[in-house]
Amino acid sequence: MTVAAGIGYALIALGPSLAVFVAVISKKPFLILVLLSSTLVWLISLIILSGFWRAFLPLETTQWWPFMILIVTSVAFQEGVRILSWKLYKRLEEILDAFADRIAKPRLYLTDKMQIALAGGMGHGVAHAVFFCLSLLTPAFGQATFYVEKCSYMPFFLVSSLIALAFVTIHSFSMVIAFNGYAEGKKVDQLFVPIVHMAAGLLTLVNLVSGGCVIGVPLLFILATWTLMHCGRMVWRRLTENRNRPGSS
Amino acid sequence: MAQNSRPTSLLDSLGEEIIRIVTPVSICMFLVVVLVSVLNEDSSNSASVSSIATIAYNESSSDSDWDKFIGALWNSLAFVGIVIVATFILVLLFYFRCTKLLKIYLGFSAFVVLGFLGGEVALFLITDYSFPIDCITFVVILLNFSVVGVIAVFMSKMAIFVTQGYLVVIGMLVAYWFTLLPEWTTWVLLVAMALYDLAAVLLPIGPLRILVELAISRDEEIPALVYEARPVTQNNSSNATGVARRRVWRETSAVNSDSIEDQNSGALDSDSVGNNQNGENLVSAEEGRHQERISELTAPLIEQRLNYHRQMQEEDSSGGGFPIERIGLGSSGAIKLGLGDFIFYSVLVGRAAMYDFMAVYACYLAIVAGLGVTLILLVLYQKALPALPVSIFLENAFYVLGRKFRSNLDFGIKTPNRKLLQEVEFFKPDMDGGIP
Repeated sequence: MTVAAGIGYALIALGPSLAVFVAVISKKPFLILVLLSSTLVWLISLIILSGFWRAFLPLETTQWWPFMILIVTSVAFQEGVRILSWKLYKRLEEILDAFADRIAKPRLYLTDKMQIALAGGMGHGVAHAVFFCLSLLTPAFGQATFYVEKCSYMPFFLVSSLIALAFVTIHSFSMVIAFNGYAEGKKVDQLFVPIVHMAAGLLTLVNLVSGGCVIGVPLLFILATWTLMHCGRMVWRRLTENRNRPGSS
Repeated sequence: MAQNSRPTSLLDSLGEEIIRIVTPVSICMFLVVVLVSVLNEDSSNSASVSSIATIAYNESSSDSDWDKFIGALWNSLAFVGIVIVATFILVLLFYFRCTKLLKIYLGFSAFVVLGFLGGEVALFLITDYSFPIDCITFVVILLNFSVVGVIAVFMSKMAIFVTQGYLVVIGMLVAYWFTLLPEWTTWVLLVAMALYDLAAVLLPIGPLRILVELAISRDEEIPALVYEARPVTQNNSSNATGVARRRVWRETSAVNSDSIEDQNSGALDSDSVGNNQNGENLVSAEEGRHQERISELTAPLIEQRLNYHRQMQEEDSSGGGFPIERIGLGSSGAIKLGLGDFIFYSVLVGRAAMYDFMAVYACYLAIVAGLGVTLILLVLYQKALPALPVSIFLENAFYVLGRKFRSNLDFGIKTPNRKLLQEVEFFKPDMDGGIP
């Protein structure tokens, strides 16, 4: 549907992340590097998953439970990768703190740590959006559009952009929640992230049903908003605690 | 609020130099991808450019895979052979102190790339989009553009942003021309160049190594096309002005204090004659052009050596092991990357753009990762290093993986309806005709 529509769909999926990128991440070069590396890590995890699943794909069935297995295994794998990222991040923090001591600069502030987590999460989110939405958008730059029978209310591209937007939000902020949960040792936060991720993944199965996307997509957005709010509350709490305590955490 | 008065965090400036190199490389790749996707929409690639890179074998789509591979191998060997000969000629010229000749040749090459290659790309764009412009205006604009470009990269007294911009444009144009080569030739050529780069820089008889050692022993600069990131100053990255950097070799003892002062004073050095913005140049894959143009190819490789060697010198002088220390201390070091690296990275990404956007993304990430790894290795080994091999190999690997493995998975996970997506793929060529 013309170049304008194509760009529009791309921006629906990636617009907010672009805004966050320009406002927050592009100011600090290190965060850009973190974003690039986390995108790479996500890509590698996807390649590993596809290598594993190659034997079983393409799934020719119209039943929903093979997709469920696919989603469950993929989400589990990616959550595992998140835990690995946490371990790597701890090491990085040590290195950076040691380096900061060496050059007589202050150690990492709490906001720095959260920004690193945000950049990491956004890397995952952007990678998700690029692979699951932008890759399908090439036909959208042409002169027609495409509707799916089971979701005939919106063009297919719009649906995938919206879903990608929800996922970008979920990915970006769950990394902040997860890292904070691991740092503080709070079980609630630690479990929140995988559960939300799994729920979001499984919600997309609702779209397999005819007319399902009317329910599926809004529910997905509710999940995304919930993630955002939880993250906001958590960050606010930590920052106010931090301010009340002398010195940085 | 306490946060206003606290000192700037470590995170504000860490990794800045790397980003300053990654950004122009990314911009160049992005421009090449845009050019490729805009200009090759009807690509069947049958009208492939006959150039020096295909003298041995001209690929046609009807040959078998094995034939194509062997043909590509012959092409690459021929190409690398020519590059080796040209590099040795360059070394010889440099040895006999014909620097004037080299500089003139450089300027000439830059002019040809900007004028002719740029002109042809512009013509493609004009014909594709029926842009109304007459010949005389076009020639005048093109001429002006090329001349300014030559001055920008060849003589140094121009705003660094303009110079950087022109270097990126030159890289983009040459990369675009390389993407017009036949497919297999491109892949094998890239691998061959990466191997050659490795050999030429690290082996004792490598021409590039000889060249750099000559340059060091004479304390001169090699005229070459180098992309230089802005130097990082102590205060703030945004204050960095485009101050010409002095020749590093002379300043081994004085870099720390002198160059920082120079930067802060913002004055151009009188040494700027020997300044880095000179360039030697790059490839031209035009048909029927002279052999000498190939020697331009050697430049990128020289650059890499040159850059890293300079990088090393700077580090030595600032007492350094770890380059990050220099960032913190506001040293004058700036990473430089040869234009050849820009070109070869962009060629692969441009090629990937001809198939699939996913491959582009995967390759881009691989290149940036490779660049990062090369920079880390540079720090560890404190030696001049070739920039091509790591990135090219990673990129090839990701491209293959990207195409072979992922095409099945994409449509299995987290998408509403997999069957639908098969249909999308199927309908893609018909899409422009309109679907109810």
